[in-house]
Amino acid sequence: MPVNRQSTTLPVYFGVPGKQLFGCYHEPQSTTIRSTAVVICQPMGHEYIYCHRALRQLATKLCEVGFPVLRFDFYGCGDSAGDGDEGTVTQWLEDVSVAAAEVKSRAGVAQICLIGLRLGGALAFMAAAQRDDIAGLVLWDPVVLGTAYLSELLQLQSEALKQRRKSNRNTAVAEIVGFGLPGGLREEVERLDLYSVSPNVHARMLTLHTNDTVDCVLARHLIAHAAKVEDQHIPAPKIWQPTVDGNLLVPNQPLRSIVAWTSGAHS
Amino acid sequence: MNEEAVRFGTSNSLIGILASVPEIVNQHASTAVILLNAGIVHRVGAGRVYVKLARALAAAGFITLRFDFSGIGDSPARHDGLSFPKSAVAEAQDAMEFLFRNKGVRRFILLGGCSGARIAFDTACCDDARVIGALLINFPSMDEGDARQNADSAQRSAFFYYRRFAVFNFRSWQRLLTGRANYQQLMRTLWFGIKQTLAEDEEETSSLYQEFRCALTRVVNRCVRVSFICSEGDHRLDELRAAGGKLLKKFCEECRLTVDVVKDSDHTFSSLADQKRLIQIVLMRAHGIAPKLTQLPISDTTAAPSVFQHQYQS
Repeated sequence: MPVNRQSTTLPVYFGVPGKQLFGCYHEPQSTTIRSTAVVICQPMGHEYIYCHRALRQLATKLCEVGFPVLRFDFYGCGDSAGDGDEGTVTQWLEDVSVAAAEVKSRAGVAQICLIGLRLGGALAFMAAAQRDDIAGLVLWDPVVLGTAYLSELLQLQSEALKQRRKSNRNTAVAEIVGFGLPGGLREEVERLDLYSVSPNVHARMLTLHTNDTVDCVLARHLIAHAAKVEDQHIPAPKIWQPTVDGNLLVPNQPLRSIVAWTSGAHS
Repeated sequence: MNEEAVRFGTSNSLIGILASVPEIVNQHASTAVILLNAGIVHRVGAGRVYVKLARALAAAGFITLRFDFSGIGDSPARHDGLSFPKSAVAEAQDAMEFLFRNKGVRRFILLGGCSGARIAFDTACCDDARVIGALLINFPSMDEGDARQNADSAQRSAFFYYRRFAVFNFRSWQRLLTGRANYQQLMRTLWFGIKQTLAEDEEETSSLYQEFRCALTRVVNRCVRVSFICSEGDHRLDELRAAGGKLLKKFCEECRLTVDVVKDSDHTFSSLADQKRLIQIVLMRAHGIAPKLTQLPISDTTAAPSVFQHQYQS
């Protein structure tokens, strides 16, 4: 499909009153619009901030090739309703459903492709397992085990505390660099284990990992469950981590790869 | 709390969130607070602090608008070749125009962190009578390029780093005692620090500082209430003191502007406690700039003491 440079970004609030979610709906302006819509599930906490620019670019590129795209903030994150310490994994899974319903209604399509990065990837995977309208699933460096993810977060917080004077190291408040991590959420994240979730075997999947040291265990696990998986290893910076100069990274190669795979897999 | 996603600007491409509490929105005589991007981080802000600030201000009766400048966050880039400092000021003015046309707001407080503070200040400098206040968080007295060119500014940053961080850092001492430090640089910086301390009453006369003082005088004389809010752990505080010199102290003493220092915080307010302290100060200063209608008889509403010399503690 030819690339059409025109797209319209429409900022919207949607969902139930009191728990309204914010999203940007990227509406393709080309004459040929795909019959599958894309929902982008963003990461959480500080990772959301660092990845925002890259995921906006991804949405724009997908829209340019004809996909209606909804990029949204989970409850208690970004511009969505709720305080940072009110989010739960259960609520976020519900949010994926609300976002899927929203994009289907706006685009007038029946099929969805979920794209998730980091914790957003884990949530996309879990939500897809419960739905029958998921045609595709892209897991970009997903969180596979909650315990490993938590230990990364706690390590980051511990490094941040080292930069502070001892008198100002408040360890009583559960937080990760300015984002609350209440006990309930921590427990839910700790229990997160994608190997224990039966995958959606009807959806085509792309697992994309950018880290050299991570092997494709998840992909092998999915294949063992008869899922239709393509695994790609594309070396790229960990865009969800802070950079020395404060820049927000947009990795060209993973974005191109996701757009190419999604375009090829969906009409 | 009502939050509404909006698009505005000359090509209707600037994306933002309007927040207000309809029942109390007129308490501040229809004053809006506009939050301007801090650096390249989108309108949510580092640690989601802009969302927290916007909601706290809305809960206090202000209409608030947080939005993305062109090329940042959700707003697409411009294609008219206008430089960022100019387009950002124009877009801050677009935001005021939008709020006037849609909500009837005529008075504005501009709030920004880091480069957003610079844009807020530059917009306030534009002789725009609609701007009644500016809340400038970690205000960069010089832009990054000028600061790199200016030898004193570089030395001041280095001295700040040694004084604030290196002296408490085991690894720094290890490097110093095992011959792995840059002794020449260290001596130069320490000598600069000693000179600064001994010549505390001397005014720095760099042309960039003079420019800043002229602009500050112009803004303050127009009765725009300027509040600088600085992280204790950010070198821009020292830079502001040097750039403002005696004039800054004078204006503080006359209660014509305020400087608050958020104790122990870093540049991005990267802990929940820092964010809480920041929000408290912003609310206090916003109330000072645009008091509730029931408080209007008070003659000088910015009279809450500035904490230029004592540090703010919650």
